[in-house]
Formats: sequence, structure tokens, C-alpha cells
Amino acid sequence: MYCLTNREIEYIFNEIKSNGIEIEDLQLNLLDHICCLIEQNLRDGDDFESFCKKTLRQFYKNELLEIEEETIQLLIFKNYYVMKKVMIISGTLSVAAFITGSICKILHLQLAAPLLFLAIINFSLVFLPLLLIVKIREINANRDKLIIALGTIVGILYCLSMLSLVMHWTMKGPIWLITLAIAFFIFIPAYFFTGIRKPQTKGNTIIASILMVAVTGIQFTLTDLRGKTSDQTSATLGNEALVEKSQPKIKITIPANWKTIK
Amino acid sequence: MNTNALLNYVYLFLTLFSHMNYSSELIKGTLKTIVLKLLADNKKMYGYEITQKVKELTGEKIQITEGALYPTLHSLENDGLVTTETEYIGKRIRKYYSLSATGKTKTQEKVSELADFISTMTFLLGIKTKTA
Repeated sequence: MYCLTNREIEYIFNEIKSNGIEIEDLQLNLLDHICCLIEQNLRDGDDFESFCKKTLRQFYKNELLEIEEETIQLLIFKNYYVMKKVMIISGTLSVAAFITGSICKILHLQLAAPLLFLAIINFSLVFLPLLLIVKIREINANRDKLIIALGTIVGILYCLSMLSLVMHWTMKGPIWLITLAIAFFIFIPAYFFTGIRKPQTKGNTIIASILMVAVTGIQFTLTDLRGKTSDQTSATLGNEALVEKSQPKIKITIPANWKTIK
Repeated sequence: MNTNALLNYVYLFLTLFSHMNYSSELIKGTLKTIVLKLLADNKKMYGYEITQKVKELTGEKIQITEGALYPTLHSLENDGLVTTETEYIGKRIRKYYSLSATGKTKTQEKVSELADFISTMTFLLGIKTKTA
């Protein structure tokens, strides 16, 4: 059995590192493995360096880095399942909170507001981003990944703008307009021109695009560009009507002889 | 079922499917189970030892590549199924793998699952197995 010197072990270690292996554990595992192979198979008179390179070459198809990539892939794959589980749980919680919150709202219970608030926050900031990550891993084409990312951003912004509208936050106007602008000028055109190129998605893309333009158009119709939002306007009008209704109607009758009184 | 029996079972399965040219995809699918079973039967092992043991048990019919073994070992470690300890061999470090408590339970599950899968596939494809 060949006995490796410290210099030779260092040489193998440097070879592993120079081939792009960065995970320390993997470096040590490969070093020990190559050392074992060399110790078992190197004969007296064989050239160490060429034998080392030959041994290393058996470890991969194209490059040694494949082992590290495979390792990372396997580790991410596990996270992928965890993420998918968290996504389903957060989605289920959102649905439950939406339904319960809506029932509470119908029954005029105070619990309605916090439940609906949590539902929207959970849906937009937990469920949708996780959905994006999971979907991006399942899709290969970069263009499709971009469409999904844009759709998710629009979805998150839409939820947040609805929330800010209900909560009367000061940023409600800008968020709402940004949502509409991204949806109308970036997301829908990108979705349309990507989908229409593929024969299998052409029909659905046209219909979905029409629906999205219509919905965005309706939402834009409801938008007050002068600064007041539609709900404020209706509230103001409603208040005015109430005031008018509640005020007693005073009839002032002028006596015919008022001049005489004077 | 001991490791030898399991490996023979896997070997039979791979042979039936690949006519002696083992597809790396098929081996990959069974690799975790093979490694877990080997560790269950051998207390602690290091990478090179695992490849040699599989070679020896299968008469070199199944050869685990380093490119498949180390990612699998790292994945098993990350899943908490194996624990590691290191030992200095001169200037280099040797990493030994052994089963964790969870790994022991998981091994039984994986072996049963694989055995069940093989018998289902054997039945599904109408493959007649040789009886000794």
C-alpha cells in the first residue's frame, strides 16, 4: 500500500479546491476518498500527479463541481418540501381567516377587523411570496418565471392597497396607482405577449388577458384621480344627505304687514 | 432483511429494468436506502468504505459513484438521519457516518417501502423471479 506524504495530501486538497469545491465537508470527504484510492491503487514507479488527476477524473462527467451542485440541489430539495408545506398552511389559515372574518362582519362582531387584517397580511406577505418561490422552482423558462414574479408583485400590491384603503392609511393612493400601473402597463402586456406565442396557451391567454384588462379597467373606473377615493366621496355624500335629512325644516313666513311693524 | 439481501434485491430489480446497464437514475432512487441499511448493519462507516462494501457485497455489480454518494450523505446528515464524527488520519480528516435515532426508524421504513415497491413492480410488469 502506497503511503502518501503531507505534501501529496496538500496537493490533492489544492486540486479539489481549484476544481471549484467550496463546501468544507465535501472537500474533506473527497480528500479522504481520493487518498484512499491512491493508497490502494498507486504502484511504485507510478507518477503521483498524473495518477491523482486520473483518479479525480473518475469522479465526474464534465467537471468536479457537479458533486457540489448535486449536494446543494439535494439540500434545497428538502427545503422545497418544507416551503410547500408552509405555503399550504399559510394559504389555509388565510382562507379560514377570510371566511371567519366575513361571517363576523355580517354579524357586526368586533373580531371581523383583526381577522380580515390578518388574512390579508398573511395572504399577501406569506402565501404569495412562497407560492412565487415554489412556482419558480417548478418552471424552467426564464420568461415564465418573470411573468409569475410580476403577477405575484401585482397580487401583493393589490392586497396591500385594498388594506390601506380600508385602514385609511395615507399611502393608499400611491400604492393603488402603482398597482394599477404595473398591472396595466407591465404585467398584462408581458403575460399576453408571452402566452400568445405558444399555440397551446394562445386561446387561454387571450381570454385571460381580456378579463384582466376588464377588471383593471373597472378598478380604474372606481379610482378618483383628484385625490379623494371613492369610498370617501360616497361617505361625504352620505353624510351630507344625513345632515340634510336630520335638520328641521323651518318655514319662515313673513307677515303681510311687516312693513307696518317696522 | 440484511444489507446483503437488500442489495441483491436492488441488484435484481436494476437488472430487470436495465439489462445489466444500470441507469444512474435507478441507482439514485435506491441509494439513500442502501446507505442507511449499510450504516444500520455496520455501526459507523466512511465514504470510501461504503463504496467498497457495496462493491464487495454485490460482486462489483453495483458501483456507487462518488458523485452520487457524497451528495446523498450530506442530504442524510442535513435531514438528521445520520450523525458524524471525525478522525485524523495523519494530515487528513476522515468523516465517519452513523445512524441517528431517527435514522434507525427511517431505515426500517425505507427498506420496507423499497421491498414493497420492488414486489409491486415485479407483479405489475409480470416478471418471474428465479427461486433457489
